Amino acid sequence: MLETLLPILIITALALAVIGAWRRIRLWRQGRPSAVPLFKGLAALPRRYLVDLHHVVGRDKVISNTHVATAGGFVAAAVLMILVHGLGLGSSERMGPVLGGLLLLASATMFVGSLFVAKRRRNPPARLSRGPWMRLPKSLMAFSLSVFLITLPTVGVLPQDAGSWVLALILSAVLVWGLGEMVFGMTWGGPMKHAFAGALHLAFHRRAERFSTKHGGGGRSTGLKALDLDDERAPLGVEKPADFTWNQLLGFDACVQCGRCEAVCPAFAAGQPLNPKKLIQDMVVGLAGGSDAKYAGSPHPSQGLGGKPVGEHHGGPHGPIVAREGTALVDAETLWACTTCRACVEECPMMIEHVDAIVDMRRFLTLERGETPNKAPEVLDNLIATDNPGGFAPGSRMNWAADLNLPLIADLQQVDVLLWLGDGAFDMRNQRTLRALVKVLRAAEVDFAVLGNEERDSGDVARRLGDEATFQSLAKRNIATLAKYRFQQIVTCDPHSFHVLGNEYGELGGPGAPARYDVRHHSTYIAELYDAGRLAFSPWKGGRVTYHDPCYLGRYNGEYEAPRRVLEALGIPLNEMERSGFRSRCCGGGGGAPITDIPGERRIPDMRMNDVKETGAELVAVGCPQCTAMLEGVVDKTAEVRDIAELVADAIVMPSARPRRGERCSPGSRTEEVVS
Amino acid sequence: MSEMCRRDPRREWIARNRLHPEHASALAALGNIGGGGAASEWLGPSGVLRRNPHGVGFIGPNGVKRIDRSGAQQGGSAPGHGRQAVQQDRRRHVEISDPAFLVAVVPDLTGGRLSGHDKDLLGLARRLADDDPERPGAVLAVVFGEHKEERLGEAGIDRVLHLGAETYAGFAPEARLAALTAVERELAPRHWLLPDSPLGGADLGRRLAQRLGERPVTGVWQIEADVEAPLGWRCTARGAAERLDIRRPLPRVALALAECAEPVDETRHAAEPLSLGAAVPIALSRIEDLGQVAVDPAGVALAEAEFILSAGNGVKDWEGFHHAARVLGATEGASRVAVDDGFMARDRQVGASGTWVTARVYLAVGISGAIQHLQGIQGCDRVVAINLDPGCDMIKRADLAVIGDAAEILAALVAKVEQQRGGQRDAA
Amino acid sequence: MRPEQQGIEMAVLVSVGRHPITGRARRADQDARGLELALCLEGRLPGSRIGLLHAGPRSEESEAALRGYLGMAADAGTGLNTLTLLEQPEGSDAIPALADHLSAAMPQLVITGTRAELGEGSGLLPYALAERLGWPLVNGLAAVEKVENGVATLLQALPRGQRRRLQVRLPAIICVDAAAPAARQSAFGPARRGELEATPGAAELDHELAGWQVAPARKRPKRLKIIRAASARDRFKAAAAKAEGGSGQVLEGVSSEQGAEAIFTLLHEEGVLRS
Repeated sequence: MLETLLPILIITALALAVIGAWRRIRLWRQGRPSAVPLFKGLAALPRRYLVDLHHVVGRDKVISNTHVATAGGFVAAAVLMILVHGLGLGSSERMGPVLGGLLLLASATMFVGSLFVAKRRRNPPARLSRGPWMRLPKSLMAFSLSVFLITLPTVGVLPQDAGSWVLALILSAVLVWGLGEMVFGMTWGGPMKHAFAGALHLAFHRRAERFSTKHGGGGRSTGLKALDLDDERAPLGVEKPADFTWNQLLGFDACVQCGRCEAVCPAFAAGQPLNPKKLIQDMVVGLAGGSDAKYAGSPHPSQGLGGKPVGEHHGGPHGPIVAREGTALVDAETLWACTTCRACVEECPMMIEHVDAIVDMRRFLTLERGETPNKAPEVLDNLIATDNPGGFAPGSRMNWAADLNLPLIADLQQVDVLLWLGDGAFDMRNQRTLRALVKVLRAAEVDFAVLGNEERDSGDVARRLGDEATFQSLAKRNIATLAKYRFQQIVTCDPHSFHVLGNEYGELGGPGAPARYDVRHHSTYIAELYDAGRLAFSPWKGGRVTYHDPCYLGRYNGEYEAPRRVLEALGIPLNEMERSGFRSRCCGGGGGAPITDIPGERRIPDMRMNDVKETGAELVAVGCPQCTAMLEGVVDKTAEVRDIAELVADAIVMPSARPRRGERCSPGSRTEEVVS
Repeated sequence: MSEMCRRDPRREWIARNRLHPEHASALAALGNIGGGGAASEWLGPSGVLRRNPHGVGFIGPNGVKRIDRSGAQQGGSAPGHGRQAVQQDRRRHVEISDPAFLVAVVPDLTGGRLSGHDKDLLGLARRLADDDPERPGAVLAVVFGEHKEERLGEAGIDRVLHLGAETYAGFAPEARLAALTAVERELAPRHWLLPDSPLGGADLGRRLAQRLGERPVTGVWQIEADVEAPLGWRCTARGAAERLDIRRPLPRVALALAECAEPVDETRHAAEPLSLGAAVPIALSRIEDLGQVAVDPAGVALAEAEFILSAGNGVKDWEGFHHAARVLGATEGASRVAVDDGFMARDRQVGASGTWVTARVYLAVGISGAIQHLQGIQGCDRVVAINLDPGCDMIKRADLAVIGDAAEILAALVAKVEQQRGGQRDAA
Repeated sequence: MRPEQQGIEMAVLVSVGRHPITGRARRADQDARGLELALCLEGRLPGSRIGLLHAGPRSEESEAALRGYLGMAADAGTGLNTLTLLEQPEGSDAIPALADHLSAAMPQLVITGTRAELGEGSGLLPYALAERLGWPLVNGLAAVEKVENGVATLLQALPRGQRRRLQVRLPAIICVDAAAPAARQSAFGPARRGELEATPGAAELDHELAGWQVAPARKRPKRLKIIRAASARDRFKAAAAKAEGGSGQVLEGVSSEQGAEAIFTLLHEEGVLRS
């Protein structure tokens, strides 16, 4: 009886799955078009899955192995099952036992995996969603067990007609459950949807550059994508779910609700109304239409009230995401709470791009509705009118360096290093860092110059606040300025400028002014100088030190090593925080978060300073003006906050104490050289 | 009091003789003649100030005579003789009986008194009036409503037209305009000067100019004589939101900024009352003043506030703080920490990331003075700090700093203010 | 008479502003506050209509600034996607053009800023319009409380954040200054989509203005404290007095009463204590 029943069941399940897949694909295709190479993407899928995705999942060995066993077992079992039971190859004399044996092995592996899944679900951590996800281990077991049992006769361990028809019926019922969850549910919207959507998301990912290729490389693509402002009909940001590109929607649908993003999100930890996982699920609700009542994870926190009740928010693919009045899919504060620290993106095993989505939605709020909260409109107006967020006179950008006699690139035309000051030039605290950096560059006899008053804000804050128009205006003018001069590289002590100049200007360069620059963070450059023997340090005499990785240096630009190398060169032993490197916790200063200032239960910098305290460090080294400002703003902090440049400048042994390396050319003689 | 000084040779002789038993009383009597001064100085018969060198000084603790020349010690400060020397008014008294022309000034009289701006404007009016000493003009002040100012003459006013009727009280631009039009008809002043102050002359002056069909000059801050100009003067005025200086001939109606001229202080004028011959026609009013609305000082926008009481991390007694703000009539501000900790609303935050304030007095309680906060109070005139830590940055910035417990000092300040107010009420 | 709660017709006069530091063209601050006031009123009186009006030359710079106002009307449906531009040659007098337009359009409420940030900036324009149209004018406006039966109840801003309530019969002209609520953000999208409806306006050259000498503002001399001291000692003391702005006085180790006394004296000197 099973022989007749099994092919019918399997074929039916597959047919239903195909219908479901078609429906699901139709849902995704509501999004805006996005050109992706279909076949190349599909061809790259195995590598992306096995290498890149596994690189993320592999950070947790237990889960990784569990997933390998379960998913690997399932894929193998499913294919073999179709061959053996669906197409009836199991009855062939030659193939039957071999395939059957393999199928047994696969389903057994899957069963073992599902035992681990079940174990994890017994006392699940808060970040995991419950609801349908709680039945998943049972469904996995049902599938693997039933497939195992029905395959036993195939390999001849049991006689073909073993057991009664009752047993066969029970077995088929269990198999139907298993098939329902694993095959039908995959495309109709059960927990297994992640496998289907996730695989396609990997294939058609919006940032193909994120993935490695056979030739290595890749792995980092963090710059936001520019809006086309020349086309007046192109939408400005995302108003409704259908305004996302279709592969973004596909990405949201791939979410496994593992909650790793929630666990690392600084805004969530601070009790601000943002939970990245919930946000992505809200988008999924919007994609299919309905309300978030079925969501079974932790909600968005809401300012100390313990969470926003689930079920109030609702929407559809063509309805607004943020309502003008009342509620829609998400509240505006949710979007503005994000610090764009990318911790969620870094952690996401499904490679979902949360920050892109959030900035897309912010763009609509800013560019179309003019609803950037709190001080943000003022900051944006300042950027438009004065080219800096503080509204300072553009001509006063160099006031801090009046006594330093910094060489201007306008006088020299050509230098090795262009020192990009950033808006920290207006901030009294950051001016100390800049002075230290200038001292270091001079000690190393670097041929450098600054743009002086020609420099403008890089546009970072404007872009994160969704004001793409102001960003592009600033960027294009900066690019035009940079195109006038010749330099080898740009060095900056502001990772935000670093990121924008290095990763985001490229898209905006015109034919006459290609905007590809070799940008370096000052820690990278100092490390290079040290390695080249151009700097010498006196030994470190201070106390315990820890290092805080700025998001825009670490996660955005992959620079974790150079600052540590510099500290090592200074002879400073590091006491690493529990969350450091790619898991570094944000200081709360990115993405315009200090400007939009969404209230929470705690402050993000306070939490970070607590991390510092746990290491017992008396000093925390940083490499970003935002981090410095945020961490220094902590009340009753236990550690001093110093920029790496300041530490280096303090320890530096001035070149006069060392043998000189040839005459240093003064700015004056330099100009003559250029002129002649 | 008679202006004539009569000599009494005998008394003078006694005053010169220190050993005479009546010496002290003679000295005191002589001093009285000189306008009520102390015995050490008196005005001699020929108008020369006479001094008694022996009357100066006091006996120090060791029995040695000490002379304090700092001026703190009034001469002849024998106990019982504590009479203050009334400075003789040396200002020239000027009376212009037959003016060649009139310069009409409409002072704001904020709170019933001449404001600094009004006095500057009157100084400007005097320059216009006194330009030709042969044919001086008279300054006519048109005063609306009740006022408490007694020194109109000293501010340089020759004629006062007081329009005290109830209709001019409050915001009554239409009635006032009708009155000024009547003045124009009857007295035809050569110049009309008004202070360019919002809600005062700025409004009325523009209305008047339009009614008279004149194109006025606004924001005048300087005038100079110019024979080619129709009225003999050129002026410099601010334009384009303080970005431009416009130089043009002075028109009949001018609205001047504060400090446009030095206030009058060397002459006294008659401030003769004047009245209009015909009654002012009653204007139909389409604007009705319903009176002032009670505004809670705490609710005033920080950027607008004149006096801010700002709380920081050092404030523990929040009830006391709010009470102090109410009693002092101050607008409440806060440092970022106080806002983050939830004690104050976000819109109360002062600093680079909050509101940039421009208060006249900024009273910082328990604020250590982060750079961002100090940036936000750059525009404040006087900064007062109360803090426990004498080394904090706020103390360095403050014009007056008191080291001590914030709650106690605030409570003492509140008590002081309440006591003073109570005292005033009793006196009144 | 109109029934209650019916919307009113408003005209907001807007000008091209100039940023105080960089001098870049922008929305004029006060005019933007005026539009904000109108938009708030429009929200409270459904059916109201707002007309945006500007008289002046059309150039790329001024157009960008004027579009800033259109960007504030992100809530579509107010009919606020167009701005009427009375096009005039450079240096024309805006008053006749505006007066003609307003007397034809007959709005009930005309809202303007107090002073322009460009040109003469004398703040005369609303007064000239009021005189020509014969409408009442209220300046220094902070808020419009209500509009009923052709009478508007307004709040006028007094110094120190105080307010005065006024009633004015419509049609009227109201001028806002910095005490009015700050303007909302101008959004890029609506600003770009909005239309400038240009009609030729009366072109009367302002000859008088052309005859004046205009120069960038000089810094005004700081008034010196003139000492009319009676004695040489006083004059010497005044001349030798330490300039203000030195480090402040620090009272340490005093009782709280003494501290309070010192603060009280300072508050009293500054005159911030209301009795």
